[in-house]
Amino acid sequence: MRSRRARREAWLGYALLAPSLLLFGLVYLYPVVYSAYISLFQWDLITPKRYVGLANYGELISDEFREVITNTAQYSAGVVVLALGFGLILALLLNNRSRASAALQAAIFTSYIVSWVAVSLLWIWMLDPQYGLVTFLLRQVGLPAVNWLGDPYVALWTLVLVTVWKTIGYPMVIYLAGLQAIPTDFHEAAALDGATGWNHFRFITWPLLTPTTLFLLITLTIASFQGFDIVKIMTQGGPITSTVIYVYYIYEQAFQYFKLGKASAAVVIFFVLILLLTLGQWVLLRRRVQYTV
Amino acid sequence: MRRLATAMLVAMLWAMAGPAAAQQPIVAQFWYAFGGKNREVTEAHIKKFNESQSKYRIEGAFQGDYFQAIAKIRAASITKTAPPIFHVVGEFLPNLWQAGLLENMESYAKGPNGTDLADFLPAQTQNGYFDYLGKPAPPLFALPFFRSTPILYYNAEMLAAKGVKVPTTWDELRAGAGKLTVREGSDVKTYGFEVPVDWWFWFALLHQAGGTLMTPDGKRAAFRDKGGEALQFWVDMVQKDKTMKHPPGKDYNAWEVANTDFLNSRVAMIFTSTAFLNYITENAKFKVGTAFLPAKAKAAVPTGGTFFVMLKDAPAPQKEAGWAFIKWMTDPAQTISLSKATGYMPIRLSAINSPEMQAFYKENPNYKVALDQLKFAQKFPFSPALFEVYREAVQPNLEAPVVGAKSVGEAMAAAEAKANEIIGKYKD
Repeated sequence: MRSRRARREAWLGYALLAPSLLLFGLVYLYPVVYSAYISLFQWDLITPKRYVGLANYGELISDEFREVITNTAQYSAGVVVLALGFGLILALLLNNRSRASAALQAAIFTSYIVSWVAVSLLWIWMLDPQYGLVTFLLRQVGLPAVNWLGDPYVALWTLVLVTVWKTIGYPMVIYLAGLQAIPTDFHEAAALDGATGWNHFRFITWPLLTPTTLFLLITLTIASFQGFDIVKIMTQGGPITSTVIYVYYIYEQAFQYFKLGKASAAVVIFFVLILLLTLGQWVLLRRRVQYTV
Repeated sequence: MRRLATAMLVAMLWAMAGPAAAQQPIVAQFWYAFGGKNREVTEAHIKKFNESQSKYRIEGAFQGDYFQAIAKIRAASITKTAPPIFHVVGEFLPNLWQAGLLENMESYAKGPNGTDLADFLPAQTQNGYFDYLGKPAPPLFALPFFRSTPILYYNAEMLAAKGVKVPTTWDELRAGAGKLTVREGSDVKTYGFEVPVDWWFWFALLHQAGGTLMTPDGKRAAFRDKGGEALQFWVDMVQKDKTMKHPPGKDYNAWEVANTDFLNSRVAMIFTSTAFLNYITENAKFKVGTAFLPAKAKAAVPTGGTFFVMLKDAPAPQKEAGWAFIKWMTDPAQTISLSKATGYMPIRLSAINSPEMQAFYKENPNYKVALDQLKFAQKFPFSPALFEVYREAVQPNLEAPVVGAKSVGEAMAAAEAKANEIIGKYKD
């Protein structure tokens, strides 16, 4: 049995937590619960809500929604795979104490800090099929101009590339931290055993980076699922609906078409999806994570 | 410490009693959806109104483009924080009126601080904008504010250099665009023509082809064939001739691209609103010409721009202040200065016929094109489904054929089916 003092301390702890818990509940939990409630109604904001049961969810079983899911999955997979891969390569290349490396790291990380609006506008200009810088460079080497944002088969991948360009600094920095946490003893011991560079990576670096990779995999997946700004500014979901990804779809349904119920149903599904995804990744990768050699 | 508390208490009491004690003006919010140059013009007029009298004070607030603004107004109407007055594009009105959001303006317009309704140019008014589909007309709930039509803008120097005369028909436009397009290998340096693949311009072409959006009673969509002919015209110019640029982006993003391309001499002719006349003329480094939209089976053009409306649920004093502002803004003196500063049309007959405006037109004939074009103005059906037919049925189906992802027939069939589904939803 716990002493009275311990109980009092626990109470104090909860009391001190209360303000932030309250705020968390108000701005995170309440909207989620309210969305679930609204998802059972038909509501356009100006006429009274009408209860429709699960009809909004039924309406989401459609080609339109399937396309949104496909777009989101492609965008997310593209961003996560490329950002992880290039982030790791950059980290391996720049993992030394030279001044040039420090300068390069800073330069690469800058784009991560710059606002999405600025990055998106910049790339709209660079990718213009008539007079953009990228088009100019392609012409210089004799390649045809690509309609980066105007071709429905290309636009989503353009957004993937711009997103990777912008966010690459984040996995790079996290991987650098992971690399620097690996004790040098391991490498020294392996060197004595005559390990090659690849063996160093394969048997020491990569296994010891697994927790870092797991962390990045989860955070990058969630971040890419939440992509919105880049779509809003660069394509507004177009051409046609080829770049409508999940959060943009919710925005469109709610604030362009005023289907609050349908948008809320999509929010609830999104919430469950992200929850499952996070749990799944965590459970699956937990078993294989090596926290030490 | 105690003194500080006393001082704060006094300050609070004074602040609460202040407005009641002194003769304070009634403050009313006005939400508008103009950015850039037109925002400056709007703000300047709000300032002028506030300085012209001391009874009311209008506070303007920019709310993004038309679609963002209407979303905010709808959301604010839930939290009871919507402004007493705002302005919206015509297509939104039937739905807002049906939902009971808007104030009946009859008693204001005909009351002691009324306005001369007979002096409003008929094509610009609520009744000129809407076809009531054989049903009795609703009362006055919207007054014109910044009204427009689409017009053809052309780079006069490019047309002269290539010996192309200003097109008056679809065929002439297509042939002219061919001559004006400049290629370098397989790349296009200058396009002959550019227009946003957008509802408003499609609506113009639909009527030019001889079609209508809905049947005369508004019970069915009726645009499939003629709307298809309109869309096919664009598809041919983009896909076959490669003389028309399809500006990327949705809604006004695409409009901005077209304007910028025109100003940068990357395209010889564009369709856009007369609203940008002042902006384009001031920023072009070449001679800008304007003309009526080319005709097909007939000459036809939609009107556009916005209307002032009042919120029914706003407090009475705020509505009074709002009306005073609306009345002032639509007075001849203001409609003249607003028009000259933007390119939107004046809305009062006395303003158009004034010596000031007549002299201005003589010097700047481009400003008169939209006004003269009103004789071909087409009405929009006053159907509560109009907004959804526009946003969910037509607009999302225009782009696919232009980028070659669907045939015109498929797209128009899908659009018409969706439109009929929406119209059906509103049947009582």
